[in-house]
Amino acid sequence: MSAGSTLDGVLEAIEAARPIVALRDSYLAYPLINAVHIIGIGLLFGAIVALDLRLLGLRRAAGPAEGFAGLLVPVAIGGLLLAIPAGLLLFATDARAYAASPLFQAKILIIGLAIGNALLLRASARRGTASRHGTAFAAGASILLWLGAIILGRLVGYF
Amino acid sequence: MTRTWTIAGALILGLAPATPAIAHHGWAWATAQEFELSGTVKHVRHGNPHGIMLLTTASGEWTVEIGQPWRNEQAGLTPQLLRPGIRLLVHGHRSARNGERLMKAERIVIAGRSYNLYPDRPS
Repeated sequence: MSAGSTLDGVLEAIEAARPIVALRDSYLAYPLINAVHIIGIGLLFGAIVALDLRLLGLRRAAGPAEGFAGLLVPVAIGGLLLAIPAGLLLFATDARAYAASPLFQAKILIIGLAIGNALLLRASARRGTASRHGTAFAAGASILLWLGAIILGRLVGYF
Repeated sequence: MTRTWTIAGALILGLAPATPAIAHHGWAWATAQEFELSGTVKHVRHGNPHGIMLLTTASGEWTVEIGQPWRNEQAGLTPQLLRPGIRLLVHGHRSARNGERLMKAERIVIAGRSYNLYPDRPS
């Protein structure tokens, strides 16, 4: 059995799992899970863009970046913790089709890069090794990556 | 992965590729003209965000979009009734994109009986 057909079998089994079948055929659960996914994205994107803009040098007079991060990073992580489980549930209802979609694959890749970028930025800030240019570059990349993830996510439904 | 990058790149350049639709909402993408199509169900997927079936017809294979679970249920189009192998006639609207074999169903006729997904729309 090839790796491809093994993956296909796993995805098919996920689609056929009873709670997933119930979600796919649901009256209200599916749109509500969809709403949770959007709420999570809203919290994540809103908080992360605000922090990135501060790291890019906007509103310096409003206080040190650490102060902004103290509030905005937990909000962004909270958003991610809503968006990921809700997204996994939506994925599970049509797992093989999503997995085969190049747009979806690109979206997941970009989310991976965005999370990796955030972790690296945070680690270097904690160690105090972040240069001003490096931080600004990471903040700019963060905005573009999350923007890309959202746009690709929307396009998956239309192409 | 190369294909993924190609498509991501194409999108960034605003050259969205013409791949088959997974989901459509509303009617704006379809023509205003009433359309009908008869054929045999090859594949059907019930469920959210809306159902979809592949129809084998005299003019090739068509994709037909049906409703979300409550709408299909309300029309009487249960998974027991609407299944592969069954012959039917679909009334609805076809995609406005030239040559695209895609339509959205308003009403489906099986064995002379009408199952209306959109009773408030003329079909």
